Amino acid sequence: MTGAGPATAPVPLLSSITARSTRHLQKGEDMAVLTAARTRRRLAPYLFVAPFVAVFLAFSVYPLFFTARLSFTNWRGSGAAEWVGWDNYLYLLGNPGFWSSIGNSAVLWLLIIPAQLVIALLAAVLLDNAKLKLRSVYRVAFVVPFVTPLVAIAQIWVVVFDQDYGAVNGLLGLVGVPDVGWLTTSEWAKPTLALLFVWKTTGFIVLILLSGLQSIDANVYEAAGLDGAGRIRQLWSITVPLLRRTIMFAVVLQTLAVFQMFAEPFVVTQGGPYGSTTTAGYYLYNHITRADLGTGAANSFLLVILVMVLSLAFVRLLRAKD
Amino acid sequence: MHQLTPTRATRRRIARRRGLTVIGGAAILALGLTACGPDITAGSGDGDASAGRLQAPDGDSPSGEITIWDRSGDLYEVFDAAIEDFNEVYPDITVNHEAVDIDAKLQNTLITGTDVPDGVFLDDAKVAGLSDYMWDLSDVLDPYVDDIAQQKIDVNSIDGGIYGVPYDSNPGLLYYNATALEAQGIDATTIETYDDLLAAAREYQEAVPSAKPIHLEQSAFLGQLQLEMYASQLGTSLADADGELRLDSPEYEQILGFLDTVQKDGLGTRAEYLTPTDIAELESGNQVFYPWAIWFSFAPQQLLPETAGDWRAMPLPAWEDGGARSGAMGGSSFSIPRDAENADLAWLFYEFLMFDEAGYTAVWGPNDVYPNGLNTSIPSYEPAADPAAPLFEPVDALGGQDLWSVATEASTEIPAAAPTPSWWAGAVDYLGNDVQRMLDGELSPAEVLEKSSADIQANLIDRQ
Amino acid sequence: MTASTLTVPGTDDADSVPRDDTAASGGSPRRPRRSRPAITSHVFLALLLVGFLAPVVWALLSAFKPANDIISSPLAFDPSRFTLDNYIAMFEDVPIASGFLNTGIVLVFKGAITLFFAPLAAYAFAKYEFIGKNLIFGAVLVTLMLPTIVLIIPLLLEMKQFGWVNTYQALILPGSVDAFAIFWMRQVIAAVPDELLDAARVDGCGEFGIFWRVVLPVIRPGLAGLAVLTIMNIYNDFVWPVVAASSDRMATLQVVLSTLAQNITGNRIGADYATVTGELLAASSIALIPLLVLFIALQRHFINGILAGSVKG
Repeated sequence: MTGAGPATAPVPLLSSITARSTRHLQKGEDMAVLTAARTRRRLAPYLFVAPFVAVFLAFSVYPLFFTARLSFTNWRGSGAAEWVGWDNYLYLLGNPGFWSSIGNSAVLWLLIIPAQLVIALLAAVLLDNAKLKLRSVYRVAFVVPFVTPLVAIAQIWVVVFDQDYGAVNGLLGLVGVPDVGWLTTSEWAKPTLALLFVWKTTGFIVLILLSGLQSIDANVYEAAGLDGAGRIRQLWSITVPLLRRTIMFAVVLQTLAVFQMFAEPFVVTQGGPYGSTTTAGYYLYNHITRADLGTGAANSFLLVILVMVLSLAFVRLLRAKD
Repeated sequence: MHQLTPTRATRRRIARRRGLTVIGGAAILALGLTACGPDITAGSGDGDASAGRLQAPDGDSPSGEITIWDRSGDLYEVFDAAIEDFNEVYPDITVNHEAVDIDAKLQNTLITGTDVPDGVFLDDAKVAGLSDYMWDLSDVLDPYVDDIAQQKIDVNSIDGGIYGVPYDSNPGLLYYNATALEAQGIDATTIETYDDLLAAAREYQEAVPSAKPIHLEQSAFLGQLQLEMYASQLGTSLADADGELRLDSPEYEQILGFLDTVQKDGLGTRAEYLTPTDIAELESGNQVFYPWAIWFSFAPQQLLPETAGDWRAMPLPAWEDGGARSGAMGGSSFSIPRDAENADLAWLFYEFLMFDEAGYTAVWGPNDVYPNGLNTSIPSYEPAADPAAPLFEPVDALGGQDLWSVATEASTEIPAAAPTPSWWAGAVDYLGNDVQRMLDGELSPAEVLEKSSADIQANLIDRQ
Repeated sequence: MTASTLTVPGTDDADSVPRDDTAASGGSPRRPRRSRPAITSHVFLALLLVGFLAPVVWALLSAFKPANDIISSPLAFDPSRFTLDNYIAMFEDVPIASGFLNTGIVLVFKGAITLFFAPLAAYAFAKYEFIGKNLIFGAVLVTLMLPTIVLIIPLLLEMKQFGWVNTYQALILPGSVDAFAIFWMRQVIAAVPDELLDAARVDGCGEFGIFWRVVLPVIRPGLAGLAVLTIMNIYNDFVWPVVAASSDRMATLQVVLSTLAQNITGNRIGADYATVTGELLAASSIALIPLLVLFIALQRHFINGILAGSVKG
């Protein structure tokens, strides 16, 4: 049992309380009390979700319906809205700009997810070892980027990756690498943005994977270790399969984040150069700044569908291996 | 707790399958039940043109409070200082002056109609896009309109209404490093056409092999703004008075051909306006010609310590002999939102600043912020822009040159214009980027015109 | 972590069975010897550590350099040229104090609402059957997939109808019990054994009592994780505050920061690149310090909370 802290906490409580409840039943409780309790139990959830539902209806569902309706109009923020049917959707689907924004997000996904998973998995496996020295130092350090404000760090990125005066080119210059236009060439802008994303979120993924690792029984490894399985093989043939569900959770979470990515290109590249960092999320924002609210709304629903399909595909993939 | 896992996992799997069905259902519901969504109507704007025309307030001593938005930075400080002078004339009008990130906030504020300012500083390029929310100022501007630079009236006019009080005129000038050029025996003042400019650049490069004498803008946005300066010289712009696209024209072809030549012949420094790279090339004498709006004057004064004093300004070269020697690049105006509480008082404020001698002297003349006066633009009100009566003083960083007379004379050369279309900034994604691709050598001038025209038409104009 | 565990790496080649500490260290499991994998591990982890911390450290240090040095020699740090100029200029030019105040107010109220109502609702989703449960939860998942920026215009119009533009309620209520919090808490609470709740019920606990006295204490680690995540989200949010609070007096810290950032990216006349960069680094440093301190102070709770909240293998 490698599970520490939170996972173990309920267990002793559970046994003691179960013991007590059995005692109660043995005494023979009044059935009326139980019926009243059952009624309470039926009503309680409605009360519990009511505040959430109120906020949710007012500030999520209502705007969602508004947006849905907007997506069939050509409303520009003032004046009357004209119903245009599926025009906005058809316009987007026939527009190379829309597809290239999806393409940009897909490339970012490819740059980010595999690299991040490998790094996070290795880090998590190493950190899972309770005897690792400096374990908590590493854990804290890895999560530091995750808690830093994005606006601040994105600005730092702009300064650090400046072609002529940035620290990165300065460092590379020391070993003779010529200056790279990290943010000014369409070849490098995406990798630079991807690096920002990986830097910012990998710590969180490490934690998620760690939580998965903690529920894996250490005996499994011991058995494998005695069989002489190497570390890498052990990781690939034991840890990864056992961790499938957690990995998928992380992948779905990150897929949502990558396809909605907006603040990073907004602060760092404004979607450029030449639209190479115009992500799906940023493209959507472009319609809004042009007051083309109907198209923006349609764009967001197309994105939802895409993300949903992707998530479903991942879940399928997971189930196929189950 | 792995002992609980199998049952939990199974349960979760079933729940998940059902959950996903529900997601699909909810999405369909959201899309299908649109009829019960909210009513999409806007609050303001009744569409009646005459009702939208602002009138000056009655009475002798108007009183009240106005909120004025300006961008943060030097201009805010300048206008802030001018409020005192305004209050000497209108003691009962209180001005709340706020420094605001206008680009980020104005559109949303106008949509919500809450805490709307009484007057707002706007790029000329933004006026058309927001005109639905603004007062038509043609009645109050009537006494002044004949004395305002025609180009500024044109860019603020939409369907016969005028939606901004013209603020500054930003004539394009040719800034050049006189000292560096003279050292090679080149007299820039003899340059009269862009062909002359190319010849001078070649001559300079022969003498200074490392030189890339002419600035080529690398920011897509500013590159497009500069392109419009060149176009303005030729009396054209992206859209005509009816909003029709007129990009695919001999004028634009000529301009792009010039830029393409500068790039292909290795005569251009490609950099973003006043970024560290750009500054380094200016300071080293590699970049000696900077065709830009008057506001480049800020650079020699503050960013170019090495070459300050070496720079001079002259009218732009003409596209052909006898052609106009300047074009407009950028510029701003003041707009008054219809939802403003004291729109009429805001008009008094802008009337004072722009058309009253005490007002425009406070803005452009020597003040606490600029001891020698504000020399990054000139007034668009012609009585204020008198070449013989400078408001700001000669500029030391330009070797003591009288920038005022250069700029005011250039300003009179600017041909008439058409309103800036509301989609102008959006066009940067197409035209601005395509021009950069041309400078990368990926597109020919003709391809830029063809591709950008098609894209702008399909994605911006047809989507209005 | 005893001193003896920090042994010299000279004797590391013998070990070929990584997890078997006993064999490697001659009988004492408390004293593992450094094996080659251990060294590689530390190299890998240390590289990551440097990579993750370098940008933050660079920013914190650079804010104390003269503005022009940040541009001209980004890598150097010369203690003799230490200066507070960037901070002084930043405090003069930027309303950062009011930004902190506004962020603080929003943080307290929005945080409290989220931390109470999200677990409460999640408890119902995790442990009860009720009409509409799947529909509502499905809708929660849909909003998770919806890019938030698209809701901004409709929300803004709603704020207008309520008369809430430029008010604290506009900054606090929308998104206060957000979909992610529900999703996360449901995950955590689902792991609480039903037997525990039944036992409490038999003991005569009311339904709310079960939540308050049984569920909340048990999920405390998960709640701590949610707390840090929530604080972080509220503290770092800037898209909604930029639009909802157009007035300067309502600007939150991130709004102040992004406005300052636009002085660099906006090619503003009169904005000197080096000076603005210096001010921005100073402002960014100040903005990240509170969260860093909070995080380091609460890191155990936070990390355990995340561990409690995510999907297990």
